[in-house]
Amino acid sequence: MERYKTSTPKVDFLPKVRGEAKFTDDISFPDMLFATTLRSTISRGKIKDIKIPTLPKDYYWFSAKDLKGENVVNIIFSDWPVFADGRVNFIGESIGIFVGPDKEVLHKLCEDTVVTYEEEKPIYDFSESYIHKAFTKGDYEKAKKEAVRVIKETFETGYQEQAYLENQGIIAYFDENDKLTLTGSMQCPFYIKRAVMRSCALKDDEVRVIQPAVGGAFGGKEHYPSMIGSQVACAALALHRPVKMCFERFEDMTYSTKRHPSRSEYEALIGKNNEILGLKIRVKLNGGAYRGCSGVVLSRALIASANVYVIENLDVTGDVYMTNTTPTAAFRGFGSPQTIFAMEMFIHHVAKELGIDPLELQYKHLAKKGDVTTNSGHFHDDIILKELMDKAMDMSDYKRKVKEYAKPGCNKGIGMSVFLHGCGFTGSGESEIINGKVKLIKDENDHVYCYASSVDMGQGNKTTLKKIVAKNLGIPDEQCTFDNPDTDHIPDSGPTAASRTIIIVGFLFEKCAKHLKEIWKPGVRQEYVETYVGPEYIHWDENTMQGDAYPGYAWGVNIVEVEFDPITYQVSVLNTWSTYDVGRVVDERIAVGQADGGLVQGLGYGYLETMKCENGRFKNRNLSDYIIPTFEDAPHMETAFIDNPFPYGADGAKGMGELTLVGAAPAVCLAIESAIGKNLQKIPANPEYLMEVMKHEN
Amino acid sequence: MKISFKMNGKDVSLDLDPSMRFIDVVRDVLHLNGTKEGCGEGSCGACVVLMDGKSVNSCLLPVANAIGHEFVTIEGLKETKAFDVIQKAFAEMGGSQCGFCTPGMIIAAYSLLKENAHPTEEEIRAKMSGNLCRCTGYQAIVEAVLRASEKGEGLW
Amino acid sequence: MVEKFIPKTKAEALDILSKHDCYILAGGTDLMVAKKNIAGYLPKFDKDVLYVANIDELKGIYKDDKGIHVLSGTTMDEVEKSPLVPSLLKKAISEVASTNIRHFATLVGNIANASPAGDTIIVDVILDAELKLESKDGIRYVKAEDFVQGVRKIDRKPNELITEIIFPEVNYDKEMWLKVGSRKADSISKVMVAGIYKISGKSLENFALTVGSVSIKPVRSHDIEEELKGMSLDELKKHKVAIVEEYAKLIKPIDDQRSTAEYRLTVAKNIIGKFLDEIIEGGK
Repeated sequence: MERYKTSTPKVDFLPKVRGEAKFTDDISFPDMLFATTLRSTISRGKIKDIKIPTLPKDYYWFSAKDLKGENVVNIIFSDWPVFADGRVNFIGESIGIFVGPDKEVLHKLCEDTVVTYEEEKPIYDFSESYIHKAFTKGDYEKAKKEAVRVIKETFETGYQEQAYLENQGIIAYFDENDKLTLTGSMQCPFYIKRAVMRSCALKDDEVRVIQPAVGGAFGGKEHYPSMIGSQVACAALALHRPVKMCFERFEDMTYSTKRHPSRSEYEALIGKNNEILGLKIRVKLNGGAYRGCSGVVLSRALIASANVYVIENLDVTGDVYMTNTTPTAAFRGFGSPQTIFAMEMFIHHVAKELGIDPLELQYKHLAKKGDVTTNSGHFHDDIILKELMDKAMDMSDYKRKVKEYAKPGCNKGIGMSVFLHGCGFTGSGESEIINGKVKLIKDENDHVYCYASSVDMGQGNKTTLKKIVAKNLGIPDEQCTFDNPDTDHIPDSGPTAASRTIIIVGFLFEKCAKHLKEIWKPGVRQEYVETYVGPEYIHWDENTMQGDAYPGYAWGVNIVEVEFDPITYQVSVLNTWSTYDVGRVVDERIAVGQADGGLVQGLGYGYLETMKCENGRFKNRNLSDYIIPTFEDAPHMETAFIDNPFPYGADGAKGMGELTLVGAAPAVCLAIESAIGKNLQKIPANPEYLMEVMKHEN
Repeated sequence: MKISFKMNGKDVSLDLDPSMRFIDVVRDVLHLNGTKEGCGEGSCGACVVLMDGKSVNSCLLPVANAIGHEFVTIEGLKETKAFDVIQKAFAEMGGSQCGFCTPGMIIAAYSLLKENAHPTEEEIRAKMSGNLCRCTGYQAIVEAVLRASEKGEGLW
Repeated sequence: MVEKFIPKTKAEALDILSKHDCYILAGGTDLMVAKKNIAGYLPKFDKDVLYVANIDELKGIYKDDKGIHVLSGTTMDEVEKSPLVPSLLKKAISEVASTNIRHFATLVGNIANASPAGDTIIVDVILDAELKLESKDGIRYVKAEDFVQGVRKIDRKPNELITEIIFPEVNYDKEMWLKVGSRKADSISKVMVAGIYKISGKSLENFALTVGSVSIKPVRSHDIEEELKGMSLDELKKHKVAIVEEYAKLIKPIDDQRSTAEYRLTVAKNIIGKFLDEIIEGGK
């Protein structure tokens, strides 16, 4: 009996299960050299001198002066140097690379290099803001006059490490036409291409990027490969030989980018009918030494800061703080897990303070179609949140358990979070900044090839995008191919990020397929290119942060059941029940996989994964010290999808890559609260924190 | 030093430093790249191979300890009927997403089923807990192993 | 130049040890992490290495009047599956690292490594286990409790090889084992407690407790244990808090990347208190 009757076999499954899929470290080229990074050992200071040892034959040193282009990593805000030049701003910053045939020799060269610094006092706290954003809605000060009560609370979230199973790695080599080519563990082939073009002063037709099998990414390979790619490209160009840089776990965990830690201050104005008249929200994110994409992370955090609730009066500000630590960057959720955690916990705490059922307070403010959003845009589409909540509560027997677990002496708890995730790039970014394109080519045998820059890193888009194309062309799935992106053959459909692959790229493919079908001539080679045109009614002003933040929203509910051990303060996650509105499910097996994986990763963020940073140095530097959930930690999960077709989605589908992570942390924390009867304000809600909570009265 | 063992059914005799990690023998000397390195310290299970039918972390096994033993990597397992049952179950349940942990998962699943042909869900989770996955949330893999145990009577 | 030896017999091994100061590597699951080099390169051994996994005479489990003998080359998996082995030891083994590790790590290797977080060590100690050390000079027996002297410090002379760990008959019928890891599986312990006892009538006939991961070596107090032996359950109830405090004085945990001293101390006390409660209630 088949479990997933309508699902398509995953196109890349067999090579992966047979161990035949080639990941970056499985790839070698003749005459290839390795690269090892010399890193800063201080958090902040000037480089006075670098004494590199005498280089043996066939060993080379590359640093800032060897870059033919600009010494910046091309990111949204390009302030991160490819190689530190004259100063360093975090422990581990790349000063240069040694390149040669033997890794042990390379490591010794790093060890024997003497860097003389003039140390400066590093900053580790939230004192130096380098990105500031703010917006308002309604009139918060006016609302304050009407308020009968003001309730304040502060929430903190920690680092989270992506902990993909395959470490970072990239190879620069020369293809059959002697063109500089890069292959590596990546999410965005064109990001790497443009980064290399910029740092190595190359033209568009002088750089090629090809995606191999990618062992997980979760945002951690969105920008970082652009930096290491620029480094190996610099060396490869100078030596005209392939250069490989593959990290081991210690290096990856200690030096690659992580989720922004946050501190959010919430203040609620309560009206005489126990409604929330207004919210004042102050968000602080730790951006590390360089801005990179932190501005967009902050945007998303602020846009999500009131979560699914419609609040008439808002005063929202946020800052990203410079700290002399490893820069933080993209990680599934991209700013919204931080503020959605805060808002969900806050609204529940406020309800408790007011002596009312949290559901009552939530229902008062739950978004509906037509409502004004946090940024004074509108929810243009149907919202079925209440249906999602009802179904989840039904699946889990929630209401009965809430009562039962509230009994004294009961160590079980149950919690429910409600959340949204904006799909696609903010505002009109899809049309104006990305302007994504996809291409379909049909050969003489009527076999169709799909071209886009979407990287399948496990989420299955090779299968789902192809499925959309085949369906709309009315051809069998086997008559369609989606190969790993190669920038020489694909148009830029944008990065594999921001939950945009199905909602934007999938939509593009649907349109493209429909157009190709119209002009279809059997036995003739044909091609069609489709360019993204978004809903016209989406207007967004990035400066004022006003308007429609996203083309569409996905919605979800997570219910988590836990058991708390009062002796050890440990939490066992027993069961979860989740419901999601992702428009329409393209492939059930893949969708359930995303739901399961996102949830477990989000649970880890909420109660298990602890990354300590002390004096600029990460203390958890391998998979035995940085604890991610194992088989035994992961709960039994039940998931249901409710259709709510989106007019601009492929067959109504929206995005879900990040949605399934963002609600897990508040759900598990609310469950723990239900078990222990005390409020939590911090994640990870690990046993050490829970012990503190149990020992002290809030 | 001459070190001899069996690899995927064939006798292997190599001149190696006995302290060499078995994973390096597998990947760099024998060029069997299906076995992956995720952490290098025995925490993630991506590197497991079968040693006399039991899963072991090849990143921690010195080749000195391989002498006289029989090893199977994913390359050896993939042509067997047992593999086919496991593979189909993984395909059906969605037990593989990015694929990096997958060869290790298959080896660990086979090792488990060889020891216990009808494990409960609890037993699967306990016995496979040394294999980490960041993509699936594990449930699909548990379901896959349960399915494989249903279909694979007598194959282990 | 580091030499690597792969003896086939115990006699060979002892002969090598009489001439070379070696790391003794059985399963390798600790040493290969401690001496890890870059991927693709040989581990960084700074002295000779003796590989003992190929010595068949060092494998097996048997019982005689001295007790249960686990030979030093026996894997944790084999020990866990043996019907001869005490269940308390099996409980501890079942939570060591992962199945994959237990398939080739050895029980003796765990105590020989003497990490403060070595899970089976506190069981070796509580069960009065003894290690048999052999060398060309002869045989020496050392109690597990005395064998571990500090962090990675053991009472082994350079020419000695641990050949067995022996578990004598101990008078108890109830046991307790609790490992607090950072997650449910595949984790290094933050705190762990093992306990054994026997109630006779309404008093304690025997009692022992060991605590791990909270000091440089396993914590066990024969003084406290002697105090408790013969004590009535009512008396025990009156003194429970004081007893927990006595143990607390012996616990000297640290802050590290896994946990805090305060957590380790608090939880150790909680566990000991709970264990005493169980005894007071007449045992389960």
